[in-house]
Amino acid sequence: MSLFSVLSVSASGMAAQRTRATLLAENLANAETTRTPEGGPYRRKDAVFISEPAAPFGEVFQSALGAGGTGVRVAEIIEDPREPEKRYQPGHPDADADGYVAFPRINPAEDMVDLMGAARGYQANVAAITAVKDMIHRSIELLR
Amino acid sequence: MLDPVANSLERYLDVLSARQRLMASNIANADTPGYKTQDLDFQAEFRSLVRGASPHPVEVTGLQVRNDGNNVSLDREARLLAENALRFNLASSLLRTEIRTVRSAIKEGRSG
Amino acid sequence: MTSPILPIDPGRIQPVIQAPGQARPAGDFQQALNDAIGGVERLRHTANRGVEAFLAGEGGELHQAVLATQRAELAFELFLEMRNKVVQAYQEIMRMPV
Repeated sequence: MSLFSVLSVSASGMAAQRTRATLLAENLANAETTRTPEGGPYRRKDAVFISEPAAPFGEVFQSALGAGGTGVRVAEIIEDPREPEKRYQPGHPDADADGYVAFPRINPAEDMVDLMGAARGYQANVAAITAVKDMIHRSIELLR
Repeated sequence: MLDPVANSLERYLDVLSARQRLMASNIANADTPGYKTQDLDFQAEFRSLVRGASPHPVEVTGLQVRNDGNNVSLDREARLLAENALRFNLASSLLRTEIRTVRSAIKEGRSG
Repeated sequence: MTSPILPIDPGRIQPVIQAPGQARPAGDFQQALNDAIGGVERLRHTANRGVEAFLAGEGGELHQAVLATQRAELAFELFLEMRNKVVQAYQEIMRMPV
């Protein structure tokens, strides 16, 4: 079952990268959002990845590293706790008494690079699934 | 009757499968903070021709560690992923041929 | 000049086929047969166990279960062919005018 459980390892990688990409896209879309339903400007979101052993059916028979491999999951989604960026724009509808507007602390260039990284990571996981599927097919072909 | 070539090839497939598992884990954890790349000492594992023995993952040295403690290089993993798949392809094809040959040899005796 | 045909001298004919009571040669063949059957059975069990373990997810790779199956199949096919050969040879011998 070991190669089969690799499929769930790679699937977990795909899911995690997709979540990360979604958050990064949300950051980019809200880079200038000064008003949110919760009050205050948009806060940058990030995903925290942690390793998680894949769950092969017979895990009890094998060591943790032996059988299924190590997948990944998003442990939590954290919001940027830092103080928002203040810009002096007195005419802005969200300006405070001193004329400063709170903007999200987002560096679009950085998040853009991260987004490409997430896409690349996603594709690498897809490549892993393809490679393993091929190996499984070849094993089956040994019967012919 | 398939042995010993088939035994070697099967062990080769065993080690390749185990290695591919590690490659996939590395790729899935390419952005996990603190995760360190794992691999097998392929030659050592292959030479210990004990069928069914579990290979031992080892941490890979010489990789650049990033700020979050992760040292996975997607380039390296993607390259090895492709390499392993091709080798698996080769070994399984050789095994298929071996099986077919033995089967023909058995059947050839029939008419004789 | 043709040499005269000598009369058949019973003393000079060596027994080729052992009497049925003799244990050793018949035992050899029986042993070989049992070993062959045992071998084929062992391979079949190994293959079945391998497939079951794989399906239950207890471990082992697909290619291992597949190869065990192929080994068992080949051993069985070889055994079948050998059995056919033995039967053939037996039938030929039985057909021989004595």
